[in-house]
Amino acid sequence: MKVLANGVGDIVRFENVGMRYRLGAEVLHDVSFSLKAGSFHFLTGPSGAGKSSLMRLMYLSHRPSRGSISMFGRDVSTVPRAELAALRRRIGVVFQDFRLIDHLSALDNVALPLRIAGAKEGQIRDHVAELLRWVGLDGQIDDKPTTLSGGEQQRVAIARAVIARPQILLADEPTGNVDDEIAIRLMYLLEELNKIGTTVMVATHNESLIERFPHPCFHLEGGVLSGPGIAPPVGEANPAAGADPQVRT
Amino acid sequence: MIGRIGDVPLSGDPASRFLPWTVGLLVFLATLAFAAGMFLSSAGEIWRQNLSGTLTVQIPASETGDRASRVAAAVELLRATPGIVAVRPIPDAEIAALLEPWLGKQVLGLELPMPDLIDASVGPDADIDLPALSTRLSQVAPGAAVDDHAAWLRRLTDLAAIAQTVSFAVMIVILMSAVATVIFTTRTGLAIHSEVVEVLHLIGAQDSYVARQFQSHTFGLAAIGAVAGFGFGAAIVGLVQTYGDRLSGGLLPEIALAPTQWVFLAALPVVAVLLVVFTVGVTVKRVLGKMM
Repeated sequence: MKVLANGVGDIVRFENVGMRYRLGAEVLHDVSFSLKAGSFHFLTGPSGAGKSSLMRLMYLSHRPSRGSISMFGRDVSTVPRAELAALRRRIGVVFQDFRLIDHLSALDNVALPLRIAGAKEGQIRDHVAELLRWVGLDGQIDDKPTTLSGGEQQRVAIARAVIARPQILLADEPTGNVDDEIAIRLMYLLEELNKIGTTVMVATHNESLIERFPHPCFHLEGGVLSGPGIAPPVGEANPAAGADPQVRT
Repeated sequence: MIGRIGDVPLSGDPASRFLPWTVGLLVFLATLAFAAGMFLSSAGEIWRQNLSGTLTVQIPASETGDRASRVAAAVELLRATPGIVAVRPIPDAEIAALLEPWLGKQVLGLELPMPDLIDASVGPDADIDLPALSTRLSQVAPGAAVDDHAAWLRRLTDLAAIAQTVSFAVMIVILMSAVATVIFTTRTGLAIHSEVVEVLHLIGAQDSYVARQFQSHTFGLAAIGAVAGFGFGAAIVGLVQTYGDRLSGGLLPEIALAPTQWVFLAALPVVAVLLVVFTVGVTVKRVLGKMM
Protein backbone atom coordinates (compact mmCIF):
# COMPACT_ATOMS: atom_id res chain seq x y z
CA MET A 1 0.00 0.00 0.00
CA LYS A 2 1.08 3.54 -0.63
CA VAL A 3 0.04 6.89 0.68
CA LEU A 4 -1.25 8.94 -2.19
CA ALA A 5 -1.15 12.28 -0.41
CA ASN A 6 1.90 14.35 -1.16
CA GLY A 7 2.77 14.89 2.49
CA VAL A 8 2.57 18.69 2.54
CA GLY A 9 0.49 19.81 5.52
CA ASP A 10 0.27 16.28 6.92
CA ILE A 11 -0.09 16.29 10.68
CA VAL A 12 -0.03 12.49 10.87
CA ARG A 13 1.69 10.18 8.46
CA PHE A 14 1.94 6.39 8.68
CA GLU A 15 4.08 4.50 6.19
CA ASN A 16 3.86 0.72 5.96
CA VAL A 17 3.28 0.43 9.67
CA GLY A 18 2.97 -2.99 11.25
CA MET A 19 2.25 -3.62 14.89
CA ARG A 20 2.30 -6.61 17.16
CA TYR A 21 2.07 -6.93 20.93
CA ARG A 22 5.25 -8.58 22.21
CA LEU A 23 5.70 -11.80 20.27
CA GLY A 24 2.05 -12.13 19.27
CA ALA A 25 0.61 -12.04 15.77
CA GLU A 26 0.64 -8.78 13.86
CA VAL A 27 -2.54 -6.77 14.53
CA LEU A 28 -1.89 -4.05 11.96
CA HIS A 29 -0.48 -4.79 8.52
CA ASP A 30 1.19 -2.26 6.26
CA VAL A 31 -0.94 0.63 7.44
CA SER A 32 -0.25 3.74 5.40
CA PHE A 33 -2.28 6.91 5.55
CA SER A 34 -1.96 10.57 6.32
CA LEU A 35 -4.11 13.22 7.94
CA LYS A 36 -4.06 16.82 6.82
CA ALA A 37 -4.01 19.48 9.49
CA GLY A 38 -7.56 20.56 10.22
CA SER A 39 -9.19 17.43 8.74
CA PHE A 40 -11.96 15.36 10.33
CA HIS A 41 -12.06 11.59 9.83
CA PHE A 42 -14.00 8.66 11.14
CA LEU A 43 -12.36 5.30 11.73
CA THR A 44 -14.67 2.32 11.53
CA GLY A 45 -14.29 -1.41 11.60
CA PRO A 46 -15.53 -4.44 13.47
CA SER A 47 -14.43 -5.24 17.00
CA GLY A 48 -10.90 -6.64 17.05
CA ALA A 49 -10.05 -5.05 13.70
CA GLY A 50 -7.23 -3.04 15.31
CA LYS A 51 -8.87 0.37 15.74
CA SER A 52 -7.63 0.80 19.32
CA SER A 53 -4.15 -0.39 18.32
CA LEU A 54 -4.05 2.20 15.56
CA MET A 55 -5.16 4.83 18.07
CA ARG A 56 -2.44 3.72 20.51
CA LEU A 57 0.17 4.29 17.84
CA MET A 58 -1.28 7.72 17.14
CA TYR A 59 -1.34 8.85 20.76
CA LEU A 60 2.22 7.60 21.22
CA SER A 61 1.46 4.86 23.69
CA HIS A 62 3.19 2.15 21.66
CA ARG A 63 5.87 1.93 19.04
CA PRO A 64 5.25 0.21 15.71
CA SER A 65 7.03 -3.07 15.11
CA ARG A 66 7.86 -1.89 11.60
CA GLY A 67 7.30 1.04 9.30
CA SER A 68 7.49 4.69 10.25
CA ILE A 69 5.17 7.17 11.93
CA SER A 70 5.47 10.89 11.62
CA MET A 71 3.52 13.21 13.94
CA PHE A 72 3.56 16.97 13.43
CA GLY A 73 6.27 16.50 10.84
CA ARG A 74 8.60 14.60 13.14
CA ASP A 75 9.59 10.97 12.79
CA VAL A 76 8.48 9.52 16.11
CA SER A 77 11.27 6.93 16.14
CA THR A 78 13.91 9.66 16.20
CA VAL A 79 12.27 11.97 18.75
CA PRO A 80 14.19 11.87 22.06
CA ARG A 81 12.11 10.38 24.87
CA ALA A 82 12.19 13.65 26.85
CA GLU A 83 10.48 15.43 23.96
CA LEU A 84 7.71 12.86 23.51
CA ALA A 85 5.79 14.37 26.44
CA ALA A 86 5.63 17.69 24.60
CA LEU A 87 4.34 15.90 21.48
CA ARG A 88 1.70 14.09 23.55
CA ARG A 89 0.48 17.43 24.89
CA ARG A 90 -0.44 18.36 21.33
CA ILE A 91 -2.66 15.26 21.15
CA GLY A 92 -6.00 15.05 22.94
CA VAL A 93 -7.27 11.55 23.61
CA VAL A 94 -10.68 10.26 24.58
CA PHE A 95 -10.06 6.71 25.72
CA GLN A 96 -12.62 4.02 25.12
CA ASP A 97 -12.64 3.18 28.84
CA PHE A 98 -12.45 6.90 29.81
CA ARG A 99 -9.46 6.37 32.14
CA LEU A 100 -10.62 9.01 34.58
CA ILE A 101 -8.80 9.20 37.90
CA ASP A 102 -11.31 8.07 40.48
CA HIS A 103 -10.11 10.01 43.51
CA LEU A 104 -10.12 13.34 41.65
CA SER A 105 -13.23 15.44 41.05
CA ALA A 106 -14.57 16.02 37.54
CA LEU A 107 -12.93 19.44 37.65
CA ASP A 108 -9.53 18.09 38.68
CA ASN A 109 -9.70 15.35 36.05
CA VAL A 110 -10.38 17.89 33.33
CA ALA A 111 -7.75 20.24 34.72
CA LEU A 112 -4.97 17.63 34.53
CA PRO A 113 -3.67 18.55 31.04
CA LEU A 114 -3.53 22.21 32.05
CA ARG A 115 -1.67 21.47 35.27
CA ILE A 116 0.73 19.18 33.45
CA ALA A 117 1.33 21.96 30.93
CA GLY A 118 2.11 24.31 33.84
CA ALA A 119 -0.95 26.58 33.61
CA LYS A 120 -1.50 28.94 36.52
CA GLU A 121 -3.85 27.57 39.14
CA GLY A 122 -5.90 30.78 39.19
CA GLN A 123 -6.86 30.42 35.54
CA ILE A 124 -7.64 26.73 35.63
CA ARG A 125 -10.89 26.62 37.61
CA ASP A 126 -12.86 29.14 35.54
CA HIS A 127 -11.65 27.64 32.29
CA VAL A 128 -12.49 24.08 33.31
CA ALA A 129 -15.84 25.03 34.85
CA GLU A 130 -16.84 26.75 31.62
CA LEU A 131 -16.04 23.66 29.55
CA LEU A 132 -17.85 21.36 31.98
CA ARG A 133 -20.87 23.63 31.70
CA TRP A 134 -20.64 23.35 27.93
CA VAL A 135 -20.75 19.54 28.08
CA GLY A 136 -23.70 19.72 30.49
CA LEU A 137 -21.89 18.88 33.71
CA ASP A 138 -22.08 22.21 35.52
CA GLY A 139 -23.83 20.53 38.44
CA GLN A 140 -21.22 17.80 38.80
CA ILE A 141 -18.02 19.81 38.84
CA ASP A 142 -16.93 18.54 42.24
CA ASP A 143 -18.29 15.01 41.85
CA LYS A 144 -15.97 12.03 41.70
CA PRO A 145 -16.11 9.87 38.54
CA THR A 146 -17.43 6.90 40.52
CA THR A 147 -20.60 8.87 41.30
CA LEU A 148 -21.19 9.83 37.66
CA SER A 149 -23.09 7.82 35.08
CA GLY A 150 -21.28 6.29 32.10
CA GLY A 151 -22.40 9.12 29.84
CA GLU A 152 -21.28 11.76 32.33
CA GLN A 153 -17.91 10.08 32.71
CA GLN A 154 -17.55 10.08 28.95
CA ARG A 155 -18.26 13.80 28.81
CA VAL A 156 -15.64 14.42 31.48
CA ALA A 157 -13.19 12.36 29.41
CA ILE A 158 -13.99 14.45 26.33
CA ALA A 159 -13.61 17.68 28.28
CA ARG A 160 -10.21 16.48 29.53
CA ALA A 161 -9.15 15.66 25.99
CA VAL A 162 -10.00 19.08 24.59
CA ILE A 163 -9.28 21.42 27.50
CA ALA A 164 -5.71 22.17 26.41
CA ARG A 165 -6.75 22.86 22.80
CA PRO A 166 -4.82 19.97 21.25
CA GLN A 167 -3.78 20.10 17.59
CA ILE A 168 -5.19 16.65 17.03
CA LEU A 169 -8.02 14.96 18.87
CA LEU A 170 -8.29 11.18 18.88
CA ALA A 171 -11.55 9.80 20.20
CA ASP A 172 -12.08 6.07 20.66
CA GLU A 173 -15.85 5.44 20.70
CA PRO A 174 -16.58 8.82 22.33
CA THR A 175 -20.33 8.44 22.05
CA GLY A 176 -20.56 4.81 23.05
CA ASN A 177 -22.25 5.40 26.39
CA VAL A 178 -24.39 8.46 25.77
CA ASP A 179 -27.86 8.89 24.37
CA ASP A 180 -28.40 10.24 20.87
CA GLU A 181 -28.99 13.81 21.97
CA ILE A 182 -25.76 13.96 23.96
CA ALA A 183 -23.91 12.11 21.20
CA ILE A 184 -24.96 14.70 18.65
CA ARG A 185 -24.07 17.51 21.03
CA LEU A 186 -20.62 15.98 21.57
CA MET A 187 -20.14 15.64 17.85
CA TYR A 188 -21.00 19.30 17.44
CA LEU A 189 -18.35 20.05 20.07
CA LEU A 190 -15.82 18.03 18.08
CA GLU A 191 -16.85 19.84 14.90
CA GLU A 192 -16.46 23.19 16.65
CA LEU A 193 -12.93 22.20 17.63
CA ASN A 194 -12.30 21.04 14.09
CA LYS A 195 -13.48 24.40 12.76
CA ILE A 196 -10.88 26.21 14.83
CA GLY A 197 -8.16 24.02 13.37
CA THR A 198 -8.06 20.86 15.47
CA THR A 199 -7.52 17.70 13.45
CA VAL A 200 -10.04 15.09 14.57
CA MET A 201 -10.22 11.34 14.21
CA VAL A 202 -13.17 9.50 15.75
CA ALA A 203 -13.23 5.73 16.01
CA THR A 204 -16.86 4.64 16.18
CA HIS A 205 -19.41 1.97 15.46
CA ASN A 206 -22.24 4.48 15.36
CA GLU A 207 -23.59 4.32 11.80
CA SER A 208 -26.20 7.02 12.33
CA LEU A 209 -23.51 9.40 13.54
CA ILE A 210 -21.44 8.73 10.43
CA GLU A 211 -24.53 9.33 8.30
CA ARG A 212 -25.35 12.57 10.10
CA PHE A 213 -21.85 14.04 10.04
CA PRO A 214 -20.41 13.62 6.56
CA HIS A 215 -16.67 13.29 7.00
CA PRO A 216 -14.12 11.03 5.28
CA CYS A 217 -14.05 7.57 6.76
CA PHE A 218 -11.23 5.06 7.17
CA HIS A 219 -12.18 1.44 7.50
CA LEU A 220 -10.05 -1.08 9.33
CA GLU A 221 -10.60 -4.79 9.00
CA GLY A 222 -8.25 -7.60 9.93
CA GLY A 223 -5.51 -5.06 10.58
CA VAL A 224 -5.73 -3.67 7.03
CA LEU A 225 -6.71 -0.06 6.55
CA SER A 226 -8.67 1.26 3.61
CA GLY A 227 -10.08 4.68 2.98
CA PRO A 228 -9.46 8.06 1.39
CA GLY A 229 -6.05 8.39 -0.21
CA ILE A 230 -5.14 4.76 0.31
CA ALA A 231 -4.48 2.62 -2.72
CA PRO A 232 -5.95 -0.89 -2.47
CA PRO A 233 -3.71 -3.94 -2.55
CA VAL A 234 -2.95 -5.10 -6.07
CA GLY A 235 -5.94 -6.97 -7.56
CA GLU A 236 -8.51 -5.51 -5.15
CA ALA A 237 -11.01 -2.72 -5.64
CA ASN A 238 -10.49 0.38 -3.52
CA PRO A 239 -13.29 0.47 -0.98
CA ALA A 240 -12.63 4.15 -0.54
CA ALA A 241 -13.33 4.87 -4.18
CA GLY A 242 -17.03 4.68 -3.69
CA ALA A 243 -17.84 0.99 -3.47
CA ASP A 244 -17.92 1.23 0.31
CA PRO A 245 -20.84 3.42 1.33
CA GLN A 246 -19.03 4.37 4.57
CA VAL A 247 -16.32 6.23 2.73
CA ARG A 248 -17.07 9.83 2.00
CA THR A 249 -14.26 11.93 0.76
CA MET B 1 0.47 20.83 44.37
CA ILE B 2 0.25 22.43 47.79
CA GLY B 3 -3.32 22.60 49.07
CA ARG B 4 -4.52 20.20 46.40
CA ILE B 5 -4.92 16.47 46.48
CA GLY B 6 -2.21 14.61 44.52
CA ASP B 7 -2.99 13.19 41.08
CA VAL B 8 -1.76 9.76 42.14
CA PRO B 9 -3.75 8.39 45.13
CA LEU B 10 -0.77 7.32 47.20
CA SER B 11 -2.14 8.08 50.65
CA GLY B 12 -4.09 4.83 50.91
CA ASP B 13 -1.25 2.52 49.93
CA PRO B 14 -0.47 -0.19 52.48
CA ALA B 15 3.24 0.03 51.71
CA SER B 16 3.45 3.78 52.29
CA ARG B 17 1.51 3.44 55.57
CA PHE B 18 4.57 1.78 57.10
CA LEU B 19 7.04 4.26 55.68
CA PRO B 20 7.03 6.69 58.65
CA TRP B 21 7.61 3.77 61.04
CA THR B 22 10.40 2.36 58.92
CA VAL B 23 12.12 5.70 58.40
CA GLY B 24 11.60 6.57 62.07
CA LEU B 25 13.21 3.34 63.28
CA LEU B 26 16.12 3.65 60.89
CA VAL B 27 16.76 7.29 61.76
CA PHE B 28 16.56 6.37 65.46
CA LEU B 29 19.22 3.67 65.02
CA ALA B 30 21.32 5.91 62.78
CA THR B 31 21.17 8.68 65.40
CA LEU B 32 22.46 6.30 68.08
CA ALA B 33 25.19 4.93 65.79
CA PHE B 34 26.28 8.42 64.72
CA ALA B 35 26.28 9.68 68.32
CA ALA B 36 28.28 6.63 69.44
CA GLY B 37 30.82 7.35 66.72
CA MET B 38 31.15 10.96 67.86
CA PHE B 39 31.35 9.93 71.55
CA LEU B 40 34.20 7.56 70.73
CA SER B 41 35.91 10.20 68.66
CA SER B 42 35.73 12.63 71.59
CA ALA B 43 36.82 9.96 74.08
CA GLY B 44 39.88 9.07 71.99
CA GLU B 45 40.86 12.72 71.79
CA ILE B 46 40.46 13.20 75.56
CA TRP B 47 42.54 10.08 76.27
CA ARG B 48 45.22 11.31 73.91
CA GLN B 49 45.27 14.77 75.50
CA ASN B 50 45.34 13.35 79.04
CA LEU B 51 48.20 10.94 78.47
CA SER B 52 50.33 12.51 75.80
CA GLY B 53 51.67 15.27 78.06
CA THR B 54 53.05 13.02 80.78
CA LEU B 55 55.96 10.71 81.49
CA THR B 56 56.21 8.20 84.29
CA VAL B 57 59.61 7.19 85.62
CA GLN B 58 59.76 3.90 87.45
CA ILE B 59 62.69 3.09 89.72
CA PRO B 60 62.66 -0.54 90.81
CA ALA B 61 63.19 -1.48 94.46
CA SER B 62 66.75 -2.33 95.28
CA GLU B 63 68.39 -3.82 98.38
CA THR B 64 71.47 -1.71 97.83
CA GLY B 65 71.80 2.03 97.93
CA ASP B 66 69.78 4.79 99.47
CA ARG B 67 66.28 4.81 98.04
CA ALA B 68 65.59 8.49 98.83
CA SER B 69 68.82 9.71 97.27
CA ARG B 70 68.14 7.79 94.04
CA VAL B 71 64.70 9.35 93.77
CA ALA B 72 66.09 12.80 94.56
CA ALA B 73 68.78 12.41 91.90
CA ALA B 74 66.24 11.30 89.33
CA VAL B 75 63.94 14.21 90.20
CA GLU B 76 66.82 16.64 89.91
CA LEU B 77 67.82 15.22 86.53
CA LEU B 78 64.26 15.42 85.27
CA ARG B 79 63.84 19.02 86.42
CA ALA B 80 67.03 19.92 84.58
CA THR B 81 65.80 18.34 81.35
CA PRO B 82 64.57 20.91 78.82
CA GLY B 83 60.87 20.40 77.97
CA ILE B 84 59.87 18.95 81.32
CA VAL B 85 57.77 21.54 83.11
CA ALA B 86 56.80 19.75 86.32
CA VAL B 87 58.08 16.78 88.31
CA ARG B 88 56.31 15.08 91.17
CA PRO B 89 57.49 11.99 93.09
CA ILE B 90 54.46 9.88 93.85
CA PRO B 91 54.14 9.28 97.59
CA ASP B 92 54.03 5.71 98.92
CA ALA B 93 50.46 6.25 100.05
CA GLU B 94 49.33 6.91 96.48
CA ILE B 95 51.22 3.86 95.21
CA ALA B 96 49.60 1.81 97.93
CA ALA B 97 46.19 3.14 96.83
CA LEU B 98 46.92 2.02 93.26
CA LEU B 99 47.77 -1.48 94.50
CA GLU B 100 44.96 -1.68 96.99
CA PRO B 101 42.48 -3.43 94.67
CA TRP B 102 44.90 -6.40 94.36
CA LEU B 103 46.77 -6.47 97.66
CA GLY B 104 44.30 -4.98 100.15
CA LYS B 105 44.47 -2.00 102.46
CA GLN B 106 47.53 -3.14 104.38
CA VAL B 107 49.90 -2.81 101.44
CA LEU B 108 52.40 -0.66 103.29
CA GLY B 109 52.38 -3.00 106.27
CA LEU B 110 53.44 -5.91 104.06
CA GLU B 111 56.86 -4.30 103.56
CA LEU B 112 56.92 -5.31 99.94
CA PRO B 113 59.76 -4.04 97.74
CA MET B 114 57.69 -1.40 95.99
CA PRO B 115 59.11 0.65 93.12
CA ASP B 116 59.35 4.41 93.25
CA LEU B 117 57.28 6.35 90.72
CA ILE B 118 57.85 9.88 89.46
CA ASP B 119 55.33 11.80 87.35
CA ALA B 120 56.70 14.33 84.93
CA SER B 121 54.66 16.80 82.88
CA VAL B 122 55.97 17.62 79.45
CA GLY B 123 55.49 20.97 77.72
CA PRO B 124 53.18 21.04 74.70
CA ASP B 125 55.94 21.53 72.12
CA ALA B 126 58.67 19.62 73.89
CA ASP B 127 60.74 17.17 71.90
CA ILE B 128 62.38 14.92 74.43
CA ASP B 129 64.87 12.23 73.44
CA LEU B 130 63.44 9.41 75.56
CA PRO B 131 66.26 6.83 75.03
CA ALA B 132 68.88 9.44 76.02
CA LEU B 133 66.86 10.47 79.05
CA SER B 134 66.46 6.85 80.04
CA THR B 135 70.21 6.26 79.78
CA ARG B 136 70.98 9.29 81.94
CA LEU B 137 68.38 8.24 84.51
CA SER B 138 69.92 4.77 84.69
CA GLN B 139 73.23 6.36 85.64
CA VAL B 140 71.73 8.14 88.69
CA ALA B 141 69.11 5.51 89.50
CA PRO B 142 70.04 2.06 88.22
CA GLY B 143 67.18 0.20 86.57
CA ALA B 144 65.07 3.35 86.08
CA ALA B 145 62.62 3.08 83.17
CA VAL B 146 60.76 5.87 81.38
CA ASP B 147 57.22 5.26 80.17
CA ASP B 148 55.57 7.84 77.89
CA HIS B 149 52.36 5.72 77.69
CA ALA B 150 52.73 5.55 73.94
CA ALA B 151 51.92 1.85 73.67
CA TRP B 152 48.90 2.11 75.97
CA LEU B 153 47.72 5.26 74.24
CA ARG B 154 48.13 3.67 70.80
CA ARG B 155 46.07 0.64 71.78
CA LEU B 156 43.40 2.83 73.31
CA THR B 157 43.11 5.23 70.38
CA ASP B 158 43.24 2.32 67.91
CA LEU B 159 40.37 0.70 69.76
CA ALA B 160 38.42 3.95 69.79
CA ALA B 161 39.08 4.45 66.07
CA ILE B 162 37.89 0.93 65.23
CA ALA B 163 34.74 1.36 67.30
CA GLN B 164 34.15 4.75 65.70
CA THR B 165 34.55 3.31 62.19
CA VAL B 166 32.16 0.48 63.04
CA SER B 167 29.62 3.02 64.35
CA PHE B 168 29.77 5.10 61.18
CA ALA B 169 29.62 1.94 59.04
CA VAL B 170 26.51 0.85 60.93
CA MET B 171 25.00 4.27 60.31
CA ILE B 172 25.74 3.98 56.56
CA VAL B 173 24.22 0.47 56.46
CA ILE B 174 21.12 1.80 58.22
CA LEU B 175 20.75 4.62 55.70
CA MET B 176 21.26 2.12 52.86
CA SER B 177 18.47 0.02 54.38
CA ALA B 178 16.26 3.12 54.30
CA VAL B 179 17.11 3.57 50.62
CA ALA B 180 16.26 -0.08 49.85
CA THR B 181 12.96 0.22 51.73
CA VAL B 182 12.05 3.37 49.85
CA ILE B 183 12.88 1.79 46.48
CA PHE B 184 10.61 -1.13 47.33
CA THR B 185 7.81 1.14 48.52
CA THR B 186 8.06 3.36 45.45
CA ARG B 187 8.07 0.43 43.03
CA THR B 188 5.05 -1.01 44.82
CA GLY B 189 3.27 2.35 44.55
CA LEU B 190 4.07 2.55 40.84
CA ALA B 191 2.73 -0.96 40.30
CA ILE B 192 -0.47 -0.27 42.27
CA HIS B 193 -1.12 2.99 40.43
CA SER B 194 0.19 1.98 37.02
CA GLU B 195 -3.09 2.93 35.33
CA VAL B 196 -3.11 6.46 36.76
CA VAL B 197 0.57 6.88 36.00
CA GLU B 198 -0.04 5.72 32.42
CA VAL B 199 -2.87 8.23 31.99
CA LEU B 200 -0.63 11.05 33.24
CA HIS B 201 2.08 9.83 30.91
CA LEU B 202 -0.25 9.71 27.90
CA ILE B 203 -1.67 13.17 28.42
CA GLY B 204 1.81 14.61 28.35
CA ALA B 205 3.23 14.49 31.86
CA GLN B 206 7.01 14.53 32.04
CA ASP B 207 8.63 11.87 34.20
CA SER B 208 9.58 14.63 36.62
CA TYR B 209 5.89 15.57 37.06
CA VAL B 210 5.02 12.00 38.07
CA ALA B 211 8.15 11.79 40.22
CA ARG B 212 7.11 14.95 42.07
CA GLN B 213 3.78 13.32 42.92
CA PHE B 214 5.60 10.49 44.65
CA GLN B 215 8.25 12.75 46.15
CA SER B 216 5.82 15.18 47.78
CA HIS B 217 3.86 12.28 49.27
CA THR B 218 6.97 10.51 50.52
CA PHE B 219 8.47 13.73 51.85
CA GLY B 220 5.65 14.17 54.34
CA LEU B 221 5.76 10.58 55.55
CA ALA B 222 9.56 10.45 55.76
CA ALA B 223 9.68 13.80 57.59
CA ILE B 224 7.24 12.56 60.26
CA GLY B 225 9.27 9.37 60.74
CA ALA B 226 12.63 11.13 60.70
CA VAL B 227 11.62 13.78 63.26
CA ALA B 228 10.12 11.17 65.59
CA GLY B 229 13.10 8.79 65.19
CA PHE B 230 15.58 11.59 65.78
CA GLY B 231 13.61 12.84 68.78
CA PHE B 232 13.76 9.46 70.51
CA GLY B 233 17.40 8.94 69.53
CA ALA B 234 18.43 12.39 70.77
CA ALA B 235 16.59 11.80 74.05
CA ILE B 236 18.59 8.60 74.62
CA VAL B 237 21.84 10.36 73.70
CA GLY B 238 20.94 13.09 76.21
CA LEU B 239 20.31 10.48 78.92
CA VAL B 240 23.62 8.77 78.20
CA GLN B 241 25.32 12.14 78.35
CA THR B 242 23.69 12.92 81.69
CA TYR B 243 24.25 9.54 83.33
CA GLY B 244 27.33 8.47 81.36
CA ASP B 245 29.67 8.41 84.36
CA ARG B 246 27.49 5.91 86.15
CA LEU B 247 27.27 3.73 83.07
CA SER B 248 30.98 3.64 82.29
CA GLY B 249 32.14 3.27 85.88
CA GLY B 250 34.89 5.80 85.29
CA LEU B 251 36.45 3.80 82.43
CA LEU B 252 35.44 6.36 79.84
CA PRO B 253 36.20 10.05 80.09
CA GLU B 254 33.30 12.40 80.61
CA ILE B 255 30.87 11.76 77.76
CA ALA B 256 29.43 14.90 76.20
CA LEU B 257 28.73 15.96 72.65
CA ALA B 258 29.96 19.41 71.73
CA PRO B 259 27.42 21.88 70.32
CA THR B 260 28.85 21.38 66.82
CA GLN B 261 28.42 17.63 67.21
CA TRP B 262 24.77 18.17 68.14
CA VAL B 263 24.41 20.21 64.96
CA PHE B 264 25.85 17.30 62.95
CA LEU B 265 23.50 14.93 64.75
CA ALA B 266 20.51 17.18 64.06
CA ALA B 267 21.45 17.19 60.37
CA LEU B 268 20.93 13.41 60.26
CA PRO B 269 17.11 13.43 59.88
CA VAL B 270 17.41 16.17 57.27
CA VAL B 271 19.93 14.10 55.33
CA ALA B 272 17.74 11.01 55.72
CA VAL B 273 14.65 12.80 54.34
CA LEU B 274 16.61 14.30 51.44
CA LEU B 275 18.06 10.86 50.69
CA VAL B 276 14.59 9.32 50.71
CA VAL B 277 13.13 12.01 48.44
CA PHE B 278 16.09 11.76 46.05
CA THR B 279 15.77 7.96 45.97
CA VAL B 280 12.06 8.20 45.18
CA GLY B 281 12.73 10.57 42.29
CA VAL B 282 15.44 8.37 40.80
CA THR B 283 13.33 5.21 41.22
CA VAL B 284 10.25 6.72 39.55
CA LYS B 285 12.28 8.08 36.65
CA ARG B 286 14.07 4.78 36.13
CA VAL B 287 10.81 2.84 36.06
CA LEU B 288 9.07 5.37 33.77
CA GLY B 289 12.12 5.40 31.54
CA LYS B 290 11.11 1.92 30.38
CA MET B 291 7.84 3.31 28.97
CA MET B 292 7.74 4.83 25.50
